[in-house]
Amino acid sequence: MIEKNFEGVSVRWVIALKGEAEEIIKNYAMERVETTPFPVYKNKDLDMWLILSGIGQLNAVAATSYLYVKSDASYNTIWINFGIVGSRNFKVGDLIQIDKITSSDFQDNYYPSPSAFKNNNIERCNLISVNKPEKLFESDGAYDMEGYGFFSFAKKIAPYELVSVLKIISDAPGTDLSKIDRHRVEILVSKKIQFIEKVLENLLDLQKIIFLQLRDPKYFDEICLQKKFTFSQKVTLRKYLTQWQARFPLRNPLEEIGQRMTASQILKKFSDNLLR
Amino acid sequence: MVDTIYVEDEIIGTKKAQEIISKFRHAKVTSIKRFGEVFNPSNQNFRIQKTNPALILAKKQKGFVLDAPKGFGIGDQDNYYFSHMYNCLYDCSYCFLQGMYNSANYLVFVNFHDYQNEIVKTIKRHKEKKVTFFTGYDCDSLAMEPITNFINDFIPFFSRYKKALFEIRTKSINNTVFRKHDPLANCIVAYSLMPEALAQILDKKAPSVSARIKNMKYLANKGWRIGLRFDPLIYCNNWKDQYAELFANIFKEIKEENIHSVSFGSLRFPKSFFNKLLQYYPNSEELSFLRSNDKGIISYDQSIENEMNEYCRLELMKYSDARKFFYCG
Ligand code: SF4
Repeated sequence: MIEKNFEGVSVRWVIALKGEAEEIIKNYAMERVETTPFPVYKNKDLDMWLILSGIGQLNAVAATSYLYVKSDASYNTIWINFGIVGSRNFKVGDLIQIDKITSSDFQDNYYPSPSAFKNNNIERCNLISVNKPEKLFESDGAYDMEGYGFFSFAKKIAPYELVSVLKIISDAPGTDLSKIDRHRVEILVSKKIQFIEKVLENLLDLQKIIFLQLRDPKYFDEICLQKKFTFSQKVTLRKYLTQWQARFPLRNPLEEIGQRMTASQILKKFSDNLLR
Repeated sequence: MVDTIYVEDEIIGTKKAQEIISKFRHAKVTSIKRFGEVFNPSNQNFRIQKTNPALILAKKQKGFVLDAPKGFGIGDQDNYYFSHMYNCLYDCSYCFLQGMYNSANYLVFVNFHDYQNEIVKTIKRHKEKKVTFFTGYDCDSLAMEPITNFINDFIPFFSRYKKALFEIRTKSINNTVFRKHDPLANCIVAYSLMPEALAQILDKKAPSVSARIKNMKYLANKGWRIGLRFDPLIYCNNWKDQYAELFANIFKEIKEENIHSVSFGSLRFPKSFFNKLLQYYPNSEELSFLRSNDKGIISYDQSIENEMNEYCRLELMKYSDARKFFYCG
């Protein structure tokens, strides 16, 4: 379960079609908040959003960037691309986590971080993103139409370790694609929802680590409100307050600040105290 | 230990790559074009990767032997270092690697022969002059020996070049490789050391200092030459007592004649590295004494540095010939 009171939680799902997203929307109690240009869903208590991108690389990039802006996603946000894929070397219904992404159109490959796979026992697989539905499955791996586009954008706006691509096998060589209807997809996803939750829990643990790294030290905001610090003075203040907390955990730095002290006098005072 | 191995296509068929891969039967092996695809992307988080590092096997293309940083030497005029590996099994809080690389994955360059060819060229260039080659600058080579067999390959190699000094900088107590070979007069096994109480806080995942001393004693008794590296010196409340005790403990176990050299230098970082370290370890009291100087370097106040260097020098002189001392800074 997601800790509701942990302030750092921030999750974004990018999913091509409603059938693939339905179980996730239900499971995380999201409600539709927008219809165009892309349907967007949101949980009302948590910073968790989902967008239906439609099929294809361009749609995946456009939807991911749209959701990034629309939802005001912070750097420390988990981004997950979820959906169905075809493969010749997995069984229909298998859940896989992607560890290498290639594209039929581009040279660069992407490698989602192994930290995201730790302890979840979910099969790992490479993903080949193509431009039209794959029928031949000439190579091992999973074939989709969005993963590459999604990852190419998401890796720029979030820590690598928080960007994940998760897929369910829906078809194999010889599958009649017309038989993969929305209902069948929903059943495939519902059977794996507890594993999907596990992947998200692992990502949330990683997010917590980054949240603690990025957090401003105690009293930083209060001191910045009291005096006017330039950008570089703020950098120094952040550093001194971090060091202060480690060295004098019981001394409140606010008490060191006299009414008339300027920003540079405050920094000097902290610096002198921290010297030895 | 390692559950993911990335291997460059170019070297996947080499003996060394296969030898290493075979040690991780359960790891998922993924082929890559160049190591930079995995190692270099920005936005990677070193600390998170450190919880589950992958192994990357690659071919080094250039820059096999590099000039050692100024002030980094143990007697010879010309000092070089070479890195067959980036990143470390251990996780010392002050390790500069976490500020230097985007990734904590273990990157091993398997083309050891290319390093050796370049080392030979460097030795030849220096004709009769002595040169020192350092390893263990971007990793702890001995700690990774069971995986790479690097030292096992380089001891016989350096045995052919007596004018070249080969320093293995380490905190590892793995001595298997030194039992396999006869002691080499031009090889220094150099131990990084700090007071035990500090090491318990800072040298995470590394063997205890007492275990390191025990291993140094074992190696010294076998005839290997030992280097003592008090680099970085760490400032804390009762640092004088702690360092005095450390020196006494070392020289209680190891004869001075087995010591090749002693070097020391205090903690310092480029500014950008330090900001990352503070983010990673906001509660570290040891990092709280560091300051940035006007050259963009983070270090202790000059008076602290001088006091520490002088105190340690005098204290060490109780046990060892000061001509063996080198200051790195
Ligand atoms: S042993 Fe050296 S290289 Fe390894 S983590 Fe510690 S400081 Fe870094």
